Amino acid sequence: MKKQALSLLISVLASVCISAAACAQDNMTAVDNRVFEKPERTRAVFRHESHNERAKIDVCNECHHVMKDGKKLEHESSEDKRCSDCHGLADSGETPSLRKAFHLNCRGCHEKSGKGPVMCGECHPKEDR
Amino acid sequence: MHDIYQFVSGPLARLAFTVFVIGSLYRLVQMFVLVYRKEKFIFSFMSWKYSLRSIFHWIIPFAAVNMQQQPIMTLVTFTFHICLLVTPVFLLSHAVLWEERWNIRLWSLPDQLSDIMTLAVIGCCFFFWGRRIKLPEVRYLTFASDYALLGMVAAPFVTGLIAYHQWIDYPFFMILHILSGEILLMAVPFTRLSHMLFWPFTRAYMGSEFGNVRHARDW
Repeated sequence: MKKQALSLLISVLASVCISAAACAQDNMTAVDNRVFEKPERTRAVFRHESHNERAKIDVCNECHHVMKDGKKLEHESSEDKRCSDCHGLADSGETPSLRKAFHLNCRGCHEKSGKGPVMCGECHPKEDR
Repeated sequence: MHDIYQFVSGPLARLAFTVFVIGSLYRLVQMFVLVYRKEKFIFSFMSWKYSLRSIFHWIIPFAAVNMQQQPIMTLVTFTFHICLLVTPVFLLSHAVLWEERWNIRLWSLPDQLSDIMTLAVIGCCFFFWGRRIKLPEVRYLTFASDYALLGMVAAPFVTGLIAYHQWIDYPFFMILHILSGEILLMAVPFTRLSHMLFWPFTRAYMGSEFGNVRHARDW
């Protein structure tokens, strides 16, 4: 009986955690910039869910990539990590700095696909939203 | 709008830099060829010492008598030229572009300082404009194209200020900003703005002639 209650508790807790994480992305409206000590620009506007819907992205590693020897690993993804876990504030070898990584990833894709914002102020509005 | 942005920030930007660099080299070579053909004798009195002495006296504020006689013009022109050259190169947004497009890492200015320097350039343009209209000795040397050149110099700064603050129609002014900057860059070798290339040679010539021929100072 005790065991059952424990496993029930664990599963409830787990589902709460998972849905909280999912909601966090649902509610996400801007790129997390807390890692920058003194950000010079407002947080980049980014609505995770509606972006992916409109951009028809359903593979996480489209953005949450894992790189090895300068190549993206097709079947691995990194959504369990923060971008800043790999990308530091400065370039490090082949790994671009966090700012550069955001710019290359977001703007790079927008430029390639011809869709989405590409000018500085389109992602960084004057007032934080 | 994005297609236009891609065009002005991609191929047109490369064209503008190419025209600026190749055009400037062409004008310098052309100048040397002209001197060799027509006034080769000036090399008989050209001197490094007098050249550098003249350049030195004319790049230090108030180091020439003429500058002391016209203190306001001296202040304005030094402020203008420093802000004009420093702001576009070291503006934070541009520093990001230098690095991400061409892998050139530079320092960057605080945005508030860039704002002040941008306003200074615009203000100085108004001063020069008024001066060209008001002073007879300057009006005498002024072509209609000089007013257009003043406008061309001010344009990237005015549009850049509007775009940075996102006051009105951000994408439109962003594109206009890039475009006006490119036009300005391409105009440097082929207009009176070419004094950007020629001034050290003009000073060297003047300094050498005054020093070696007239045995006088040119400042």
